[in-house]
Order: sequence, then C-alpha cells, then structure tokens
Amino acid sequence: MPRMRRIAEPLRGREACMRTESTEPAAAPAHPPVPAQARIWLAVGLQSFGGGMATLALIRRGFVEERSWITEEEFTRFWAICQLAPGINLIAFAILIGRRLGGAAGAAAALAGMLLPSAAITVAMTAAYASIRESAQVKAALSAVIPTTVGIGLATAIKMGAPLIAAGRRGGAVRLAAAILILGGSALALGLLRLPIVLVLAESGLAGALSYVILPSTGSAESEEEV
Amino acid sequence: MNPLLLFGMMVKASLLSFSGMGNVPSLHADLLARGWATNRQFVESLAVGQVSPGPTGLWVVSLGYLVDGLRGALLACAAIVIPPLLVVAIERGFQRVRHLSAVKGFVHGLGLGVVGTFVVVLLQLLHQNRGSSDPRALGFVLAGLLLASLRRVPVALIIGGAAVAGIVMR
Repeated sequence: MPRMRRIAEPLRGREACMRTESTEPAAAPAHPPVPAQARIWLAVGLQSFGGGMATLALIRRGFVEERSWITEEEFTRFWAICQLAPGINLIAFAILIGRRLGGAAGAAAALAGMLLPSAAITVAMTAAYASIRESAQVKAALSAVIPTTVGIGLATAIKMGAPLIAAGRRGGAVRLAAAILILGGSALALGLLRLPIVLVLAESGLAGALSYVILPSTGSAESEEEV
Repeated sequence: MNPLLLFGMMVKASLLSFSGMGNVPSLHADLLARGWATNRQFVESLAVGQVSPGPTGLWVVSLGYLVDGLRGALLACAAIVIPPLLVVAIERGFQRVRHLSAVKGFVHGLGLGVVGTFVVVLLQLLHQNRGSSDPRALGFVLAGLLLASLRRVPVALIIGGAAVAGIVMR
C-alpha cells in the first residue's frame, strides 16, 4: 500500500514540495494561539491552486519551515498516518496538525481555514459554470473536456494503483498474482456482473486479507513492513 | 431529493475511500440509481474539482451544487469532513494492529478494489457521454492521460487547453 510505504520512505518523489532543509533537534511542543494558526490555514486555503500537492507544500511552509511549530518528524509521521484514514488525506492531515497545535479548537480552525475558502471558490466556479452550461460554446468545449478529464482520471488511477501492484510484487509472484486478480476482479464484478459497489469493495478487502493470511510471502523479509 | 439520504451517500462514499477521488465509484452508483445525478454532472464536477483550489476531493462539493444547489454543496462540505475525523482514532489504535497480516491485506485489497472500480466508472462516464466510439474523443483521453502522467503540466492548464481545443475544433 502506498500509505504504509510512505512510512518507510516518506519523502521520495515529493522533493518538490517537501524538501528537507534542516534536521534540527526537536524542541518542546509548540502551542501557538489558535487565531494565529487560523490565519495560516486561511492563507493555505486561499493560495492552494494546483491541487493537493500544492496544498501540502503550503502547509509545510507555514508550519514547519517558517515557524517550526511542527517538526520534520511530526510532519512526515502525520502524513503517513493520514494515508490510512478514510476520505480526503489532506483533511485528515489538517485535523492532526490542528489538534497537535491547539486541541479541538486547533483542529476546527484548521478545517475551517483550509476548507471554507477553497470550497467557496469551488461553489462559485460551479455556479458560474452552471449558468452557461447550456451554451453552444460550452457544449463544444465539453466535448473535449469530458474525454480529457477521463484521461486525467485514468492517470490518477495509475498513480493510485502502481504502488499497490509494487507492494504485491515485493511479496513475491503469488502475492503479485493475487493483487492483479483483485484489481481485475473488482473491475469485472462492477463492469460486467454489475454487483453493488459496497459488495465489490468489501470483497476486495476480504480477498486481500485472505491472500495475506493464506498465501506465502516469497519476497524480501521487509516486504511486509513496506506494504 | 432527500437531503439526509444524499448526505448519507456522500459520507458512505468518503468512508469507503482513501483519497480525493476514491469516492467516485460509490457516489456514481448511488446517485445514478436514484436518478439524482447524470453522467454529465459527474464529469463536469470532476473537471471543476481539478481546476479549483484546495484538495481535488472538493470535486464532490461541485457535484453537490450541481445536483442540489447550495444545500447540496454544504452537505458535501460536511460529508467530506466526517470520515477523516477517524484519523484521530487511527493515530491511537493503528500502531497496535498494523503489523497483523490480515489488516495489511485488507487495506491492500480495498485499495486495489477502489482502483479497479474507479477505472470502470471512468470508462462508463466516457461511454455515456458518447465518447467511446468517437476517435477524436479517444485522442483527448490519451492526451489527458499522457499530460497528467508527466506531472509537469498543471491539471488546470490541461483542462483549460482542452476547452479551447474543443471550441476551436467545433
């Protein structure tokens, strides 16, 4: 799994936004005033055009690089844990950082500061779009935007799937075969058999658990740790 | 449209996912089954989510607005905040069970299942929008896939470029 792997090698591939500049010794935990925290989250929410990685870089700059309120070690550990949380990883990340800095109030400030501006802009963009969505120009544009968005989604699926297949490969040929079977099986179960999605996802999870329990791992000794 | 049910579907989809777009398959199944959303609205909101600031997972806020106006957008905001709250419990408890083979296998399998179903939903979206038989549309799929894989070109720029190309090539 990508989430666990990032615990072992947390910064690889993220140099652009998570550059390690110093490894100062950890100071006493900081508890800055909540309004000061909220201001940083607001700046993060307003500036983070360019997707999740841009947001992550802004959080890092605001809390680690410019203020040292969060240590390098905490930043990396929190991000790794967030790969395991359901839903949007960045929201879980904001909760952990906010909670660490200011308890429940800090977490609330983080959520509001990061989400309200970007959600408001998203709504405004959608509303602007909805008012012109029936125009001929927009329909022409959509005829290209829809397939392009599908292509971007496929690229996302590959980015999500590659570390999962790599984790299977580290477990040896049998585990790799199991991973490919689960991936293909879930696609067939939804696409051809039209099984309910919850059932497909639950079966995928259970198949994964079963494969780990009954199939031998023939990969390197550390492969289990890195999954 | 029952707002409580819509909210429940959004929370469920988010609970069953580990990333911003991992909630697409579940929401797609639930909303289309009730006729509350169209394939076109899904693609439109996914595109807005790529262009707008913040996590790409905010696409669901755009979807909420398209299917249920401001109320839908607010429900979506609330729905995407709840599941990640579990991270607090996960931080405490996961260290204790993460070494278990069954737990690691379940997380691995669930991730594979999300990817497999996500690909199916993407292909369905393309098909429903009459793109799967049109060579020009397939060209745009390929262009989007390649440009996004490069990671050099901002996604918002890819979508903006596609919009311009669509108008010019009309």
